[in-house]
This record gives sequence, structure tokens and C-alpha cells, in this order.
Amino acid sequence: MEFGALKSLAELDLTVNKEEIVSVIGPNGAGKTTLFNIVTGIYTPTSGEITLDGQSIAGKDPAVVNQLGIARTFQNVRLFLNMSVIENVMAATYARTRSNIFASAFGTPASKREEQEVRQRAEELLNFFGSRLTGYRWDQPAYSLSYANRRRLEIARALATEPKVLLLDEPAAGMNPKETQEISEVIGRMRAEKKLTILVIEHDMHVVEGVSDRVVALDHGVKIAEGDFDSVATHPDVIEAYLGKGSADRK
Amino acid sequence: MSQQNENQSQADTQTKKLGIGTDEWVAQHDKRLARRVGALGVLDFLNEKVSNRTRYVALLLAAIAFGFFVDNQYLLRIASNLGVFLMMTIGINIVLGFAGLLDLGFVAFYGFGAYAYALTSSSQLNQHWPTYLSVPAIVITTAFLGYLVSLPSRRLFGDYLAIVTLFFGQIFIQLVLSSDSITFPGHTDSTDITGGSNGIPGLDPFKFFGQPFKSTTDYYWLLLIVLTLLLIAVTRIDRTRVGRAWRTVREDPLASQSMGIKVNNLKTLAFIVGAAIAGFAGAIFAGIQSAVFINGFDVPLLTLVYAAVILGGSGSIPGSIIGAFVMSVLPEILRVQNYSEMLFITVLVLTIGVIGKTWKRFALNIVSVVVIGYIVKLALNASQLATTPSKIWAIAPVSKALRYWLVLPSNRIVWGNIAFVALVALVAYYSIAREKIKPLLLPLIAYISIFLWEDRLVADANTTRQLIIGAMLVVLMIVRPQGFLGKARVEVL
Amino acid sequence: MGYFGQQLVNGLTLGGVYALIALGYSLVYGVLQILNFAHGDVYMVGAFLGYFVEIGLGGPLHSKVPVPVMIFIMFAVSMIGTGLLGIIIERFAYRPLRKSSRIAPLISALGVSILLQNAALLLFSANIRTYDTSSFIPSTLGFSLGSITIDSVRLTVLVLALILMFALSRWVNKTQLGRAMRAIAVDRDAAVMMGIDIDRVIRWTFFVGAALAGAAGVMNGLLLRGVSNGMGFVPGLKGFTAAVIGGIGSIPGAMFGGLLLGVVESLTQGYLSTNFSDFYTFILLIAVMLLRPNGLFGKKAIVKA
Repeated sequence: MEFGALKSLAELDLTVNKEEIVSVIGPNGAGKTTLFNIVTGIYTPTSGEITLDGQSIAGKDPAVVNQLGIARTFQNVRLFLNMSVIENVMAATYARTRSNIFASAFGTPASKREEQEVRQRAEELLNFFGSRLTGYRWDQPAYSLSYANRRRLEIARALATEPKVLLLDEPAAGMNPKETQEISEVIGRMRAEKKLTILVIEHDMHVVEGVSDRVVALDHGVKIAEGDFDSVATHPDVIEAYLGKGSADRK
Repeated sequence: MSQQNENQSQADTQTKKLGIGTDEWVAQHDKRLARRVGALGVLDFLNEKVSNRTRYVALLLAAIAFGFFVDNQYLLRIASNLGVFLMMTIGINIVLGFAGLLDLGFVAFYGFGAYAYALTSSSQLNQHWPTYLSVPAIVITTAFLGYLVSLPSRRLFGDYLAIVTLFFGQIFIQLVLSSDSITFPGHTDSTDITGGSNGIPGLDPFKFFGQPFKSTTDYYWLLLIVLTLLLIAVTRIDRTRVGRAWRTVREDPLASQSMGIKVNNLKTLAFIVGAAIAGFAGAIFAGIQSAVFINGFDVPLLTLVYAAVILGGSGSIPGSIIGAFVMSVLPEILRVQNYSEMLFITVLVLTIGVIGKTWKRFALNIVSVVVIGYIVKLALNASQLATTPSKIWAIAPVSKALRYWLVLPSNRIVWGNIAFVALVALVAYYSIAREKIKPLLLPLIAYISIFLWEDRLVADANTTRQLIIGAMLVVLMIVRPQGFLGKARVEVL
Repeated sequence: MGYFGQQLVNGLTLGGVYALIALGYSLVYGVLQILNFAHGDVYMVGAFLGYFVEIGLGGPLHSKVPVPVMIFIMFAVSMIGTGLLGIIIERFAYRPLRKSSRIAPLISALGVSILLQNAALLLFSANIRTYDTSSFIPSTLGFSLGSITIDSVRLTVLVLALILMFALSRWVNKTQLGRAMRAIAVDRDAAVMMGIDIDRVIRWTFFVGAALAGAAGVMNGLLLRGVSNGMGFVPGLKGFTAAVIGGIGSIPGAMFGGLLLGVVESLTQGYLSTNFSDFYTFILLIAVMLLRPNGLFGKKAIVKA
């Protein structure tokens, strides 16, 4: 993937299997978020291909990619801040629902029913996070949420699009150890209960260690290691990428 | 042991009920603090208790009563114009308030609807379509026009969209102005399609079931029905799927797209709906006026509609009602010197009251203004500057009441200009002055305003109205960008 | 060829005026990312200022100073006056909104535009003034290139416009202030952290942009157009269109866009119908928007998610 003269990602060969949890790690600027952006269609890759379940999705519109089954969260949390918590989740069901503008305007029984279903679904998804995002919180504007809650809401919103694959961009960023622990559990539960395939970008190695089936390490747009957590964590190239040249030797 | 447990669980229940310290209590704490005391507090309290639905019903009943009991055609005309204006305000609210699109060519759809009605119901092209045919056709055609305009706008946001749509609006006006002499290929003489700058007079009235509308009252009832249905529909849409999707487009188009929402389609939909409403309004307007003139569809109307939406609060439907009311009734009030003065004095006094906050300050301000007035009067007498006799300018009750206090020099225009410049300078200075200086400036500003009003502005309703709108827009954005009933927004830049 | 050449020359002159207006838009958009709707009305004020100077110096017929001096003073006063007006507008209508939404400054700008137009109406009345240029610059003065004539007024305007554009690009590229301005345009927060006084630079940007518009206003007056309170709307719109076509925020883009627009307008008026020339300008705008959404000289913005 090239931006002008900048090769952001090169020769990346990555396969993710169903219901696998794969973590992508690497220093800043390694191309991790770029990877997400290409997969979700925000950027079009300058070369190579991306397939989901055998279908090519490279360069497709993000809305289309989402409907084909890939949902994501953002590195710096992009919620619909002026909408309420529950509206954020309800809004994301748009593509999976059908009431058009006339049905809503006339208040047809079908549209009313669908509206109730949407509401219920949103409540279920928010309840997934336990007492964090429940009850009175639903009608509060999203901007009133704490940072950790905003990250949780973003995950709930992504889940509302009924994806098969979930891309989480630094879900534990800015969280304290307890919250980090919760997020790891949530990721595990999502794979187990909702049968999701999950790709996680993370810097926090506790999370990476706790959830991953497999870890992929990137540096300067190139894959430098892949495997289970222990083998990647001790890989000399990975240590060098994080700690600088010569660190691997010092070990 | 069990006694202890019981006590413990009782305490737990109590804590849960009181909830002190829990998340919920903390969240509501701010709300408790914000509750204002005194008269405003009671108003706030009542405000919260009365539901929107009650308000709407009350408004509807009042409107129905108005229709039954008022015969004065002038008042009915104002009310009908308000109705049409409200339709447009709602349309803009959908495009700007819901979807966040700055469409500055909106009035062109309105004009198109009006002209389309004129062309299908007059002798201009000798078309006299029955209303049940022309109006739906107009709505659909304008909607299609909205679709066309939305196409190049798909890739544009914010500012770019504003300029392209503004240009489109201008093109429309140009087209209409130039289409009074179009020579079609194969013909030697030209056809007058739109009447150019003369417009098209003599339009057929609306006709339902063979009965033509006889007076403005009929249009009033039509508007009442249309608006009631429209308000119900739009409120429902706002609360459901499409409304939510629109708001995500306004909030964060990229995130919206990533959640499966086809942003471009929604933008187009907003354009189409807005255009359809505007076209409908235009057709009704043409019926009421029985004529169309292109200069009624230009930028002055655009600014009026936008001012209405912003004032009421973009995104808020009840806000649109308030905004439309203020913006369309205001010019009428300003036209009559008597009402204009009363309105001015009332607003001025209220403003002083609100800024002053306490009764004591308020009284002090009023007294200061009066004192300044007398000082000026003394100064003018002493300087022997020629003055305008009060019987020339004190022709309405309010100005009559002022004539012993306010003196206008005979060179009204020059002094008016000086006062205007001084007023602008003082208001600007006020906005950045230190808190200690502000109370000193306020009575001075108030006096100059009164002077200016009586001297120049009261006579020139149009300019005054525009000045008020312009000033209001700037001040509103600085002081309360969400308007009356809008919700304060958090923006990520 | 002669007719074409004539139209071309006229178009370039007109384009020079548009370019100056467009520059004001691009400069302001570059540092603040707002569309200064009031810019066209600043242009109008400039035209009025030039007019009042002319009258003050004895009017078109009995000027107290030699004609070139009078013209110089007209430009100087107008440019300084509008520059100050620009600063005032920025200070009171835009600065309080720096942290608001994107739409708030736009609405405020709309308000300022309305205020300016109607203030001018109130203060100067609705009478249309004119510079009556032919009274002090005979229209026969000029020179010809073959069958193309350029009268001295046109020539003055064209040359002056080019000089101003050149001066501006030197200012933007070579001076400290210009560099600071460009820095703010790229990344405001970083500029703050680098110690740049944002308020001061933005103030100067507005001054320069407005002064250019003021100059354009005087030029317009000299080219024998009328001066009235509503005269700023259409040129403002066209100036903005030129800036967008060239790529908003881009200085060379604004210049090129302005010249292009002037030429297109002149040619379409000369060869096609006069009534619809704005229509063709609009088509041009749409075409550019569709093919190169960031304008001809604009840079593609990378979306970072």
C-alpha cells in the first residue's frame, strides 16, 4: 500500500481463520491502522488483494464491506457524540433493517415492530457490557461517557452491524489494569458467544497475551514475525523493532 | 448472625435507593445543580413537565380557533405566509438540521415549485391543470430536481457544498430571468416562458372537487392540514431509522459509512425530501399570491429561512416553529411604526433586564438611560443645534411618550449615521470589554439604540429588518449557537 | 483573431480582479478553514472608499492632485481601510468561534455580509455611484497591438493586479509572516507549539486578504462599473468559485482560477449569449468539482481514520 512515495505496507501476507483471534502488534507507524483501513475499504490498496470468505473486497466501499461482514472500531474513538448512547447502537442497525422513510412517516405496524426490535437488540448489545452501559445511561448523550465507556460503546455499535469479523483498533488504549482485564474478557466472550473472528491491534501485551491465538508483528509496513505469543515476543526482530538495534543481542 | 445480615441488607437497599455515590446519582448531580432559582426556575420546571405532545395539541387548537374566528384577510394572509414559511423552515431543518448539509440554493426549489404552478395554472403557456394533478406533479418534479442537484454534491461537504448549491440557486434565478425570450430552433419569434423580471400574474386558484378556493381562508385551512401531517411525519422520521441515519451523517460521515450506512444515498434522500417540501410550499404560495415574481425567491428569502432555522435551533422541529414565527411575523410588525416601536422598546427593556440579572441592576440601568437622555437634551439645547420638531417624528404612542425626553437633530441622516457607527463600535467594544466596564457601557448603548431607532430605523423597515437579522446571526453564533430549542452540540474538529 | 484577442485581454483584466478577490478567500480558508462570505462585501466597501476619496480630492473633474496621484491615493486608502475592516470582522465575528463547529463561522459570516450590505445602504443610501473614469482618464488613451486595443484604464488595472499578485506570492513564500501563515494552514496546533502567535498571523492574513479585495473594488470602479451596496454579492460568489476551481487554500490556484474565470466569462459573453455566461461558469465549476474535487491546484487530503 503506497501513499505517494511512502510504502505504508509491503508484501503483507496475512490469513485469518474463522473464529480465530489474531493480534497485530508493532511500533507506531508500522502500518497497523493502515491495514485496517485497507481491509475496511477506506483506502484502496495499490497492489495485492483482500478476500473475505473467498470473495474479493479490495477497494470496495466501506459501507459495502461492512455489510459483507466486517465491522471495526477506531483508534481514536469515533462515536456519534451528540446522539444518545442507545441511538449510537440503534443507528448502526440501519443496513440490517428496512423501514423506509414513508413507512416510518406513516407509522405502519411493520415499521413500529421493526423499531421495537431495533431497540431491543441495542439494549441486548449494551447489556453485554454489564452494568457499565445500562439503564439510565442509554439516553445520555455519548459525549457524557467516560473514556473507557466510550470504547465499550464503540464495540457495541460495531456489533450492531451483525459482522462476522470484528476489527478492534487498540481497544484497551488508555484503560487501567482492571478495565484492561475486562476488555480481554469481553473479547474472549465475543468470540465464544457470538462466533466472531477478531483482529486486534494492541500495544498492551497483557491483552495480547490474554486473548490471542496468533500474533503478527509489523514494522515499517513489513511482517517481521508471526506465531503464538511466546515465539513472537521473544523473536529478535520484534525486540529490535520495539527497543532498537542491538537490544536483541544484549539479551 | 442473621440479625446482622438483615441490617446489612437493609442498609444495602437504602444505599441503592438513595444511590448516593453511584454512577446514576453522579450523573444527575449536574442536572440538580443547573436548576435555576426563582421565576426562571419555575418556568424551567413547567417546561419540563409539559410534554411536547401537549404543546403541539395546544398549538393546533389555537390555530383551528384562529381559522374559525378571524375574518381579517390581512391577518389570514400573514398566517398563511407563516404557514408556507414554516414548511420551508422544516425542509431546511431536514437538510441542515438532520443531515448537516449546508444547502444555500434551497430557495430555488421553492421558486421552482411556485413557477411550476404558475406555468400549469395560467395563461402564460395556456395550461390550466386541475390542482389534484398539478400539485403532486410539482412535488415529484421538484423532488427530482433535488435529486439532480444532489448528484454533484455527493463528494462535497460543508463549504464546498454551500457554494455549489448557492451557485445553483443563482443559476435558477438567471434562467428564469432570461427565459422571457427564448427562440426555439425552427421558430423565428421568441416565446416568453417565465415572464422574466415581470413574473407571471393571474394564476388560477387552487381547486378541489370543482370548488375553487375563494379566499385566503381556504389556503389557511389547507396549510393547517398539510403542516399537521408534515409535522407528524417529520417527528416520526426523526425518531426512527432514517432520522438516526441522517444524524450519523451529520456527526461523522466516515464512521457512519463504516457502520454500513450509505452516506451518499442519505445525502441525496435529504435533498429530495427537502426539495419536495419546498416545491410544495412554493406551489401553495403561488396559489395564495396568484402571481409569481422572481425577486421573491432570491437571497433575502434564503437568509430569512436560514435565520429562522438557526434561531429556532437546527435539528429541532419545535424550534423551527418558533424560528419561523419570529422571522415571518417580524417583518410585518416592523412595517407599522406603532408596532415597530413597541416591539423595539419591549425587546430593549427585556435585554437590559436579562443582562442586568438582578432587579436592582435593572432599575439602575433604566435610570441611567433616562439620565443620559436628559443630558443629551440639555447639551443639544445649549449648543443651539437645530432640532427636528417632535411632531414630525413622534407620531405613534411610544414615540409620543418619548418626545419630552428624546431630541432629534434636524440633520437626521448625518446624525443617524454617526449614531449607527457609534453603536456598532460600542457594541463591538462591549463584547471584549472587561466586566467592570460593561455596566457603564450598557445604558449608553441603550440610549444610542433608542436614538437611532427613532431617527432612522423606524422609517426604513426593510433595512432595519436585515440589520437585525445580520446582527442576530452573528450574536447567536457567539452566544448560543444551538438557537432556542436546539441541543448544545459537542464538535470534534 | 482580433475579436478573440480583444475578448481575451478583457477577460484577463476581469480575471485579474477576480483573482484578487479569490486570493482573499484562499488566504482566509487556508488559515481558518472557513468561507468568508463577507468577503464580497469587503470588496464593496473598498469600492465605496475609493469613490469617497475621489470625491474628496475634488471629484473626477476638478481633482486637486494629478491623476496618477489621485489613483494611488484611492488605492492606498481603500486597501488600508478594507484591511482594517477585515481585521475588525475577524476579531468580532470569527475569533470567538474558533473552537465552534464548522457551520457556526459560516452562519456568522452570512450575518456579517448582511450587516455590511445594509449598513452601507443605511449610511450611503441606495444611490448608485460611479467613478466616472472617462472624465479624468480619456478612454482614447491606450495602445494597440494589431487589432486589439487596451485602453489605459484596463492596462492600469491589469498591471496593478499582476503586481499585487506578485507581491503577495513573495510575501507568502519569502517572509517570516508568510511562512507562519502557511504553517498555520498546514497544522494549527503544531504552529502554536512552535511559538507562532496565531492571533497576530491570522490578523495579518485577514488584513492582506481584505486589502486585496479593496483594491479589486477600486479596480472595478475604475472599469466603469457602478458602485452600490449590493455590488459585492456576485463578484464575491465568482471570486469564491475561482478560488475553489483553483483549489481552495492554494495561492497559485486562486490566481489561476481567477484569471481562468475572467477569460471564460469574457469569451462566453463574446461568443455565446450574454445572459447565460454565468451558466457556463457554473458548468465549469461542476466539471472541476467532479473531475478534480480538490481543485486544479489543490492537494488531495489524506483521510486518517
